[in-house]
This record gives sequence, structure tokens and C-alpha cells, in this order.
Amino acid sequence: MKKLLLALLVASTMIFPIFANGETETEQASGPFVPQQNIEWYCTSSPGGGSDIFTRTIIDIINEEGLANGQNIVMQYKTDGAGEVGRNIVSNIKGDKANYTLLTFNSGDLMPMCKNTNLRFEDFQPIAHMAVDKHLIFIGENSRFSSFEDVIEALKNGEQIVLGGSKGDDIACYNALLKELGVESTQFAYIAHDGSGAAITAMLGNHIDLLISKPASASQYVEAKRLTPILALSTSRFPGNLGVAPTLSELGYNDVESPNWRSVIGPKNMSPEAVQFWSDVLGKVSESDKWNDEYIELKKLVPDYMDTETYSAYGAKFQADYLKTIGKDK
Amino acid sequence: MDNLQLLLTGFISVLTLQNVLVTMLGALLGLLVGAMPGIGSLAGVALLLPLTYKFNPTTAIIMLGSLYYSNMYGGSFSAILLNIPGDSPAVMTAIDGYPMATKKNRPGQALYTSNISSFTGGLIGMCILTFMGPALAELGLKFGPAEMTALLLVAMTSIGWLVGSNPTKGIVLTAVGILIASMGMDTLTGSPRFEFGSIYLLGGVPFIPFVIGTVGFAQVMKLVDEKDKKIEANLTQKLTIKGSMISLHEFKRLIFPALRSGFLGTFVGVLPGAGATTGAFLGYATQKAFKSEEELGTGAIEGIAACESANNAAAAGSFAPLLALGIPGSGTGAVLLGGLMMWGLNPGPLLFTNQPEFCWSLIASLFLANIITLIIALGIIPFLVKILTVDVKLMIPCITVVCIIGSYSSTNSLYGVIIMVISGMFGYIFERNGYSTAPMLLSFVLAPLLESNMRKSFIISHGSIDIFFQNPISLVLILILFTIIATPIVRGIIGVVKNHNKN
Repeated sequence: MKKLLLALLVASTMIFPIFANGETETEQASGPFVPQQNIEWYCTSSPGGGSDIFTRTIIDIINEEGLANGQNIVMQYKTDGAGEVGRNIVSNIKGDKANYTLLTFNSGDLMPMCKNTNLRFEDFQPIAHMAVDKHLIFIGENSRFSSFEDVIEALKNGEQIVLGGSKGDDIACYNALLKELGVESTQFAYIAHDGSGAAITAMLGNHIDLLISKPASASQYVEAKRLTPILALSTSRFPGNLGVAPTLSELGYNDVESPNWRSVIGPKNMSPEAVQFWSDVLGKVSESDKWNDEYIELKKLVPDYMDTETYSAYGAKFQADYLKTIGKDK
Repeated sequence: MDNLQLLLTGFISVLTLQNVLVTMLGALLGLLVGAMPGIGSLAGVALLLPLTYKFNPTTAIIMLGSLYYSNMYGGSFSAILLNIPGDSPAVMTAIDGYPMATKKNRPGQALYTSNISSFTGGLIGMCILTFMGPALAELGLKFGPAEMTALLLVAMTSIGWLVGSNPTKGIVLTAVGILIASMGMDTLTGSPRFEFGSIYLLGGVPFIPFVIGTVGFAQVMKLVDEKDKKIEANLTQKLTIKGSMISLHEFKRLIFPALRSGFLGTFVGVLPGAGATTGAFLGYATQKAFKSEEELGTGAIEGIAACESANNAAAAGSFAPLLALGIPGSGTGAVLLGGLMMWGLNPGPLLFTNQPEFCWSLIASLFLANIITLIIALGIIPFLVKILTVDVKLMIPCITVVCIIGSYSSTNSLYGVIIMVISGMFGYIFERNGYSTAPMLLSFVLAPLLESNMRKSFIISHGSIDIFFQNPISLVLILILFTIIATPIVRGIIGVVKNHNKN
């Protein structure tokens, strides 16, 4: 008897993980959607990078302003398969849970997704477009360069240079830069990291020559004087302490940019009421002071809130254009 | 002695009744979460984080820090008692821990060894963190792709110690491990590789279900064979703290490996992207170079001590880049960072300067958590050991349930369970035919790290191998590598020459 009890005890302890991950099925009353359980928010980039900061900022504002009916939002990092696995999971979520699942999604996610998998924008439920982010090129302390002119000079002299950055839109931006400068990728090489955080670590250790990053993840290192911006990949200079970096047109080239839009999407099966709810929540977030002062302003993004309808059309068009450029438009 | 003074100030703010209680709660939860296969510290911290919003930041981070930290203790429990590693660093603990608990009938001693070593390793890690945290973080930055490649090559040589009596079989499984690890997305070029059209395989084979399968589920199948026997352990000692306690001689055996691994582990923990698992592997490999009273792999105290101490030290060491530079070394670190932001702190290179009292309270709380976890762990070990007295036929369904839940919760899908069952079947077949699966697990963990670092090095050097010899850190590591490889060869030659002279 004692042994049986012990076995039961062991078994019940082991079942504990179920609760750790558990969801309770709650019946949703008809009418407007109000969250009744924990929300899972997927992020397909590694912690410390731009997507991570974007997501955490929104969650923070939702919690502070009590926009999610006091329910907890749990972040899930799913970087497997360069994020494809996480996106696939979200696109397949069904039932009640679909209303409680959100995914951070930017153009840097869309491009590899279309290139490598059969998943498309229309396999998700667009919710809201939040902001646009552009790129800069940075040097670390003790760099052998002091400005981008030095870099151009070195390239002309046939020197080999290594640029490090994240995936997706960073690579798109690098390719555009290669084309404009007219150099080969063998001379001006690129190392893709799991996220901007990892690329910044490599730059701080001086293992790469240059770093490409969006301001969000790099700005605190600029403040601490560990990184210096030397080129703005935009049509105009960035504000604040990033303003020292010139654009390419100031250096006698055409401007190069590959804006990265940041948005929030959900599973295809999310109910219309829930879509409306989340779209409204994100609208309120985009109007909050904290969002504008501590994120958009501080991290030098361009605010660009689009509701579900506008964003659906925008995303679909972006995808169609992209598919055309990689020859997958059939 | 500025740091010591700051640490004492940290202790003053930590040692309030509320904070001590919160540390105890965090430690208990951490032990529980750590012992559960598939649920790591990441899930634990992520679930607890929302609870802490209402706390003041210092109390909140103390709770999460102690949870994260005590989690490293818990991982070894299921590894030693059930041969199912609770988290990935515990894979190495199982190699000596399980034989010691079952074949040698000394589960209590195995658990005590593990916990005392964890405590020692952690203590060393925290002391180093206290006195040289920021400096260490800067040193960690010096480890770029070339240095990491050299370090990982050294770590890979430890496979040589694990292949057992038949090197050919060992090499075959090492290769299998590397092959399996190469499935999924090639992160450097962003193109899919060996994914056979499956979106799940695009993410590669997930580690936790793979380990639970090859080690734990294979174990279940082996138990089915012998279901009428009791598990080998036939407990004769009384279930008291005293009965499970280790002797003074045993303490002497564990303390030196634990001290060595403590220093090594702290350092590995600081390196970007290396983490506690690599720390445990390296700790175990290093122990091979020293004398052990019993042979490693047969249930040696030294083996348990070396890897447990290293993984706890690495956990402490990983706080250095987190606090000094704002670089999270792991998913758990990132959630902690997220917490910092929500409590209104700005993580990053300026945290130590702007928020010293916060940083030092966190470090002080790690010391506190280390002590409290040790006390709790020591108290519950005699009861945990009882698990081994349960009949095999009752244990089989229980362990199966643990395997399934663990692999499901680590991937949040049935995919993990399928991987677990398949790798379990292969693990069983391998084991039955005298193939040891440890080399496969080790190469599976290290190969992707080695691949990406080596390829990054070659991009940086434009294909030249010189990069590994150009700077002192990688040069020293490469020399160590050659020494490790050459020693047995040279010894062999000397042996042959001596024999020749005799005849």
C-alpha cells in the first residue's frame, strides 16, 4: 500500500509539467472578445535583438495600461529553422487558442519565409502594422576605420572587409549596398547571426570589421560609446546621437535603403472579434506616450500604425513584389 | 576591496525577511522545474515573471535569479535516479550518476556528491563574478569565431574518452550525431538543408526530446526486459540524512575535481553562446586528464563532481556578460533582461554604473540562493532516493509518462514526442549492441556550434587557416588540442620502444 501511494506520488509530481504548460478551455461568450486566459506571444528572433525589444515594449505597455484584461502575456522564443518553425506553429494554431496567440512579424521574416517555405502572408491573420525601421552601419572601438569613406577607400584598394548582421532585411540591405558600391561578396563578405544581439557581441569583440543593425538594438551601445555609427542606410540622416552618420548620397553614391516594417500577426484561425480586439489594443499602444517617447523616439523608428485592413493590403502587395523579384510569383 | 563592500551592501538589501522567503520559494520552484525533463529554467522564469510585476525590482530579480540558479541543481536529480537528464548539462551527470545510484547501490551518495559539487562550483563562480565580473565579460568578448572553434575542438576530443572499449563503434555514433545535427536550416546562408520537405525538420532535431529518447526512453525499454526484477538498487541504508551522507574520504575525492571544474565552468559560462552544457562537457573531459579512484563512466564520484560543479559555475558566470554588457547568454538570460526593462531599469553596458545597488543585490541573492538550495536539496535527498525502491513494473509507466510529457512540453507539439520515441528505439538498439550513445549526444550538441564558428572564422579569414594561429588565445587552445591528440600516440611509441629494448 505504501509503495502504491509512493508510486502515485511520483506519478502526480511528474504530471506537474502539464500544468506548467496548461491551458484551460474557457468558453467565449458571444459579443466582443475579452481575453480570459494567458496569451502566448511568439518571437522568431533571438533575445536582445530588434524583434525582441519591439515585442517586449508592446507587452510592457499592455501590462502597464491593463489593456489585456489583466491576463499574462508569455513570450515564446522560437528561433529554430531561422524562425520558420515558430511561424509554422502559429499558422497552424486552431480553436480557442488562436485568439490567444500573437506573432511578431517583420519584412525581414517575410522574405526568408517566402524564399524557403510554402508559407505565405495569407496563411496568417494580419493584425496591425506598427513602425518602420531602417539600418545603419557601425564600427566598434579600436576599429581600423574611422568613417565610411575609409571603408570605401579600403575596398578600392582591394582590401577584404567583413560585415556582420542579422538575417532577413539586414541581408537584403547588404545586397543592395554591394550592388551600389559595385564590389563582390568575396571581397565585402557578410556573416549572418541569429539576431542583432549576437552580431553586436561579435562587433564588441572586434571579430568583424563592420556591423549592420537597426538603431533599436544598437542605440544603448552608442550611448555607452562602444559603437559608432558611420553610415545611415536611409534617404536622410537619423536624429539624435545617430546623426553623425552620413547617408550614401553625401558620399557621392545613390542612397541605399531596405526599410524593415514591424508588425503583429496571429493565426489564420483567429476569430474576427479577437482580431478587432487586438487591432484596437495595438492602436492604443501606438498612441501611448511610452510607445512614442521611449520606443519610437529613443530607438529612432518611424511610427506607422496601420489597422488590420490597411495592413492586410500593404503586406500582400509587399509579398507580391518580393515574390516577383525572386521569380516565385507564379 | 570596493567590490566586497558593494557586495556587503547588496547583502544588506537582500537579507530582509521578505527577500529570504522569496529566495526560498524561488529555490524550491527551481529544484522542481529543474528535475522535470523538458521544462528548463526558461519556462520557469517566463512563467514566474508576470507574478513579479507587483514586487519591487530587487525582490523580483532575487526570486528569478534564485529560480534560475537552483534549476541547475535539480537537473541532476532525474539524471541520477532515472537516467533521464532533467536539462542538457545533466547529460554528463547521468554517465556516472546513474551507475553509481543503481549498480553501486549508492543513490544517496551520488545525489550528495552532485549537490555539494554544485554548491562548490557555484560558489567559485559567484566569487569570480564578484571580483572580476566586468573584466571577465570583456575577456569573454575576445572569444570570437576562431577562438570558439579552437575551444570546441578541444571539447570534441573528450568524445575520445567516452567511446568505451570499442573505438570503431564510438566513431560510428559520433558521426551519426554530427549527421543528425546537420539537419535543418543552415543559419549562415539561410538555406534549408536535409529537411526532406518537412517544415519541422527545418528546425533540426530538437535536443531535449532527442536526449530523453536515446537515454531515458531506451532505458524504459531495457527495463521492460527485466520487469520482474527490482531495479538493481536494493537499498540497505536507512533513509536518513546520515545514511545517505558521503564519507570524509569521498568528500576529499570530490573536492578537487569540483574546484577545478568551478574555475573552468565559470570561464565557459562567460563566453558568448557556449553555456552550461559545454561547461559540463569540458569539465568532464578535463577530469579524464586527472586521476580518478574509480574509472569514469562506471559510477565515479569524480565524474559527477566534475560536470555538476562546472555547470553551476557556468550558470553563475553567465551573469557577467548579462550584467556588465547587457548581453543575454541564453533564453533565460533574455527573459531576465526583459524583466529588468519592465521594472524600469535599462539593461546594457551602463547598468553597473547606473544601478549598482540593483546589480549587487542580484549577486548577493545568488550567494543566498546557493546556500538555501543546498540546504533544501540536502534535506530532501533521503526521500528522493525512495523512488528507487518502487517496483520496476510501476516505474515503467511512470517514466514513460515523464518522457512523453517532457518531450512534448519542450517543443509544444507532438513532433517532439515522435522524435523521442524514434530516438528511443534507436538508442535501445544501439545499447543492446554495445554502442555507447554518449559520443552521439556530445557530437550532436557540439557539432552545430563548431560548424557555425568554423565557417564564420573562414569567412573572416577568407579561407585561410592562419586565423587559428594568429592570436594568442586560439594559438594556445590549438596547442592544447595537439597535445591531447599527440599524448597517447607518443606514449604508444615510447611503450613500443621500451618493449623493443627489453627484448
